[in-house]
Amino acid sequence: MTAELPPGLALQKVDERIMTLNVGPQHPGSGHMRIVVQIDGDYIVACDPDPGYVHRGEEKMAEYRNYITNIPHLERPVIHDSCNVLYPYVLGAEEILGIEVPERAKYVRVIASELNRCIYTQYWLAIYGIFLGHSTMFMWPAGDRELLIDLMEKMSGARVTHAHFVPGGVRNDLPANFEDACLRQVNYFEKRIKEYAAVFYDNPILISRTKDTGVLSKQDAIRLGTTGSVLRASGVDYDLRIKEPYDVYEELDVHTNVMKEGDSYARSKVPWLDMMESCNIIRQALQKMPKSGSVRTKLKPNPKTKGPETVYKRVESGRGSLGCYIVSDGKTEPYRVKMSVGSFRNLIALPYLLKGEKLGNMPSVYWSLNYWPVEADR
Amino acid sequence: MGTATGIIRALNSGIKHLAIKRFTLRYPEEKLKFVGDGYQFDPSTGVGIAGLKGRHMLFHDHCTGCQLCSIACEGVAEAIAMVKVPDNQKQNKKSIMPQIDYGKCVFCGLCVDACPFYALYMTNDYELSSFTKEGLIYTPAQLAVKPYVSQDSEIQITDRGATHG
Repeated sequence: MTAELPPGLALQKVDERIMTLNVGPQHPGSGHMRIVVQIDGDYIVACDPDPGYVHRGEEKMAEYRNYITNIPHLERPVIHDSCNVLYPYVLGAEEILGIEVPERAKYVRVIASELNRCIYTQYWLAIYGIFLGHSTMFMWPAGDRELLIDLMEKMSGARVTHAHFVPGGVRNDLPANFEDACLRQVNYFEKRIKEYAAVFYDNPILISRTKDTGVLSKQDAIRLGTTGSVLRASGVDYDLRIKEPYDVYEELDVHTNVMKEGDSYARSKVPWLDMMESCNIIRQALQKMPKSGSVRTKLKPNPKTKGPETVYKRVESGRGSLGCYIVSDGKTEPYRVKMSVGSFRNLIALPYLLKGEKLGNMPSVYWSLNYWPVEADR
Repeated sequence: MGTATGIIRALNSGIKHLAIKRFTLRYPEEKLKFVGDGYQFDPSTGVGIAGLKGRHMLFHDHCTGCQLCSIACEGVAEAIAMVKVPDNQKQNKKSIMPQIDYGKCVFCGLCVDACPFYALYMTNDYELSSFTKEGLIYTPAQLAVKPYVSQDSEIQITDRGATHG
């Protein structure tokens, strides 16, 4: 039984009330992607993420270049994490080309990979901070990132796109006194990121904006196929560095950080805890690394493959598991290179997380997914 | 922890930084110091020597005009073109030498890895901006000049925080 409304006043029908809103694809707000959200008042009814604006055809390009020439362009999808994004390709190419990697090179790779993970996470944290309106959290990670970029610059000669990993090891040996500088700057970096707790993670304003928003349950996280920090924030202890150790990770003592809540707060805190773990791994690797020895197996500029072969290698990147599937038909170029990236897997969870949330919670949920549009589009 | 104490703690953590030295670098006046003289490569061992991947340096007396650097750049940036050397300059057998377009170069250093004659190195010079596109194209004669760099700022870590000293 409905009450009689006064003349001139009428309840709108549900489908007339719902408004469609485009977030993006301009860069500020969403990255290079569009999120189509349907809102009823302030509440999100449905959400449709629309990636694909920065597709560069990296996988197709890889079919026309040889195993060495592929290196500079395959690290472009995530330039802040360029060592990790190249890592599975290099591991796969080593198997196809049949080359052994010297022991010292494996440790150098682990150090470079962990430094890159921190560099990426700091950049992501800066963006997460500024989209929640926290300017300090934009300035601090962006500045402290410089400590690690300086180390990568000493190690590889480039600040962002390193092109440092090659099939057979790394391009160059560590410079003199690198170990001391690395230890000093990593220790200071760890001291600095611990300060983020008071200003960001224990800040009641952040907690009120991120706690209990976009809750992803353990079952859903597994069912939707999320990886990396999103999966670990939902209580699944899964890290490829432990489950499928590559290079020298099995000789190092690696711990994962798992949180049970599965909300935006947990998803933003797990990468921060992972950075501290990365500092531990770097210290261990510096200690266990052979002090001298070769870092690269000599390779011809246009190496020949052994024959038709198929490999699939995956590593833990800053955004979760990153796999590379290479098909070789025995020529100098790969027949097919397919990347399976963490960003795209985590994006699948977005429509489920945003349903029923307020529109104001969208940035805190979307950016907590550790999503990098360029990597998802390749 | 209550809301008020949490906010006070956050503010306090920020206020402490008023006493900490500035970390940022005043770029044109101060410049970062890099390791070594730039990225180099030793073809006998197949391993590079750490250094910044900046502008190239070409050694005219080592270059044989073999085009391996240009071939290495194919599919990466296509920035290297082999050009004819003028008659009044030092010649090699084919009298061609690399010319590099820094509008295209991605500074990956694969051309340095490809050179078997120790003729192509990279230097610490990274300030290559130009008003014209033609100004970014470096001829073999320009590449032979060793760049002047004065870079002295390094990250210093003290009890009062990190600075670029």
